[in-house]
Amino acid sequence: MMTQPIIGLITLLFMMIPPVAEIMESIMILHMHMQMPMIVIAGFLMAPFFTKRFPNFFSKWNQTGIPGMLLFIIVMSYWSIPRAMDDALTYPAVELFKFISLAFLVGVPLRDSWKKISNRWQNGVLIFFFLQFTGLGILYIAAPGQLCNNYIQSEQVTLGWGFLTIAIAILVYLVQLIFINPADYE
Amino acid sequence: MIKNKHNTIAIIFVILFGFSLFFFGTDGFQAFTAESARTNKLIEEKPKFPEVILEDSNERTYPISEFEGKYIFITFMYTACTDVCPELEMNMLGVYKQIPEKYIGEDIVFLSISFDPERDDPATLTKYRGYFESDGETWRMARINDQEQLDELLEEFGVIVIPDEYGNFAHNSAFYLVDREGYLEDVMDYKNIDEAADKVNRILEKEAGE
Repeated sequence: MMTQPIIGLITLLFMMIPPVAEIMESIMILHMHMQMPMIVIAGFLMAPFFTKRFPNFFSKWNQTGIPGMLLFIIVMSYWSIPRAMDDALTYPAVELFKFISLAFLVGVPLRDSWKKISNRWQNGVLIFFFLQFTGLGILYIAAPGQLCNNYIQSEQVTLGWGFLTIAIAILVYLVQLIFINPADYE
Repeated sequence: MIKNKHNTIAIIFVILFGFSLFFFGTDGFQAFTAESARTNKLIEEKPKFPEVILEDSNERTYPISEFEGKYIFITFMYTACTDVCPELEMNMLGVYKQIPEKYIGEDIVFLSISFDPERDDPATLTKYRGYFESDGETWRMARINDQEQLDELLEEFGVIVIPDEYGNFAHNSAFYLVDREGYLEDVMDYKNIDEAADKVNRILEKEAGE
């Protein structure tokens, strides 16, 4: 019953092992598009542990799912600022905050909130991230200088294309929603 | 929509948290990159130029205090660099040309410091300075042979140098102005030649007027 939270916890701890973190952070796109999502997934897997343990807290403060979704969006957005990535590499406290915030303030609220919000809100969130990732992709590709002091510009361009790829994937999903009704296949 | 009081409180709390996260994470919405944060902090702190021994293109060796009593206009570079350094030095020449001759060498000296002492020996520096009309006197090019001193200087002035696999370095660039007492006076955008020259000239004229 509790295998998911255990796998999540192990994943989180594994990602925090210094040599593992160091390898993941040595390449910009691995840092942002592998390590960070893995931490979020770890939190996502751990979510049932908290929702079962503190059901009242989640039903009371996140009944509609909107507060949790908002927290998810805000903390995700924070970690897409170039400065945040540099700070995580410079200050151990920020690095620790990265692991904690992405797991517990992004992964956990995402799982608790996603099923609570309506389809309309879900699509709204996807549209928001489509726009954000497109913007970030263009920023990282087209920026005239180095945005992160820890990564050279060619890595930055790679990351930019990574953002655009995800944005395109979201767009494909959103467009198919218009033409395909999932109920037809149920 | 939102019928629940607790949810409203939670939303307000989340927004406040998000606001403070962004506020503190960007020094009050001032610095969205570590580079701008670094520059803002440097200008605020005005660190003292650490004691280093320079070896210039004329094989002269002297401490940085050689320039005490004069402003020093500094860039950090290495001669094997193919992208940003030539532009940086070219722009430095642009600033140099805009400073009135009466101040040059008397009130201000220009100094290009190499962070690649292994390859940038005096002969290499001499060749390199020729490309930028540097005279080797009022605009000197020098290396710091002591790695410890070099690291301390780079650290103090926030210059981050990342070696890559091709023997090149990725690094951040700026114009640095050190005052007569050896304290950092300003860090300027190296792409904006006129603005940097105006700033330096204003400082020099203001002092001459006093």
